Amino acid sequence: MLLLREPPDNSGFMIAAYTIVAVVLVGYSVMLMLRARREEQRETGDGRRET
Amino acid sequence: MSSLPSSTNSDTRAAAGRALSTGRVLTVIGLLAVAAALVRAIAFTGVEAVQGPAQKIMYVHVPSAWCAFLAFGLVGICSGLYLWLGDRRLDTFSEASAEVGVVLTGLVLVTGPIWGKPIWGTWWQWEPRLTSTLFLFFLFVGYLTLRRAMFDPAERARYSAVVGILGAMLVPFIHLSVYMFRTIHPRPVVLNPEGPTMPGSFVATLLFSLAAFTLLYLGLVTTRYGLGRLRELREARDVAAA
Repeated sequence: MLLLREPPDNSGFMIAAYTIVAVVLVGYSVMLMLRARREEQRETGDGRRET
Repeated sequence: MSSLPSSTNSDTRAAAGRALSTGRVLTVIGLLAVAAALVRAIAFTGVEAVQGPAQKIMYVHVPSAWCAFLAFGLVGICSGLYLWLGDRRLDTFSEASAEVGVVLTGLVLVTGPIWGKPIWGTWWQWEPRLTSTLFLFFLFVGYLTLRRAMFDPAERARYSAVVGILGAMLVPFIHLSVYMFRTIHPRPVVLNPEGPTMPGSFVATLLFSLAAFTLLYLGLVTTRYGLGRLRELREARDVAAA
């Protein structure tokens, strides 16, 4: 007789992994863009002083 | 050391601006693509009968690992080219790629154990694939720390190029470790000699996620490269002012 087994219910692990990935990727992207903007603003200020 | 000539300054500034604009656009598209990949994995891809929903962690774990290996591979290539050609842009790109690679390796090292706990029954095993990936992570954290500790740009670029090449040499070793050693880590499910060992819909979701993560990697590394170019300018000015 063929016994069909239900897949284990471990969706909490998947949700935890996806949440961490989303938070890290969005967080790093935002941080990088803020660093870039700060550097651009500093560059604009320095460039003006240079001229 | 003298300051860069003003024409070179404005060229560098323009190049950095272009890299930042392109990087921002690619990053936003990449983030949207990764979000779409997660939705596809959760809602439109079947649940594996034996492993359950935890198997879907593979759709973020494998692409993170692929992009991290791509990132460190490019660090090795650009570092080698820097030592040969001496072009500062290659060093700046290596730094950018190493930083993004460290973030992605961090994700690999976090998502792997989250999958391992329900499937293996343990968060961590000191086996070749996991241990060598942890070493790779520490090695490139060391690479970034070394860069921050050195102030002479030429010396910093030369030393970090050597570390970058040595670190990148770990990548093929990590990829082949599942064939070289007795290990509990699964073998590649797509890039293996017998062809994909999963149903077509699983492979399609994995490939979609791989493309999304690669796009995001390109966005992040381009933005970080632009930032590095702007820092080069500031560094040259600071040296000239000192």
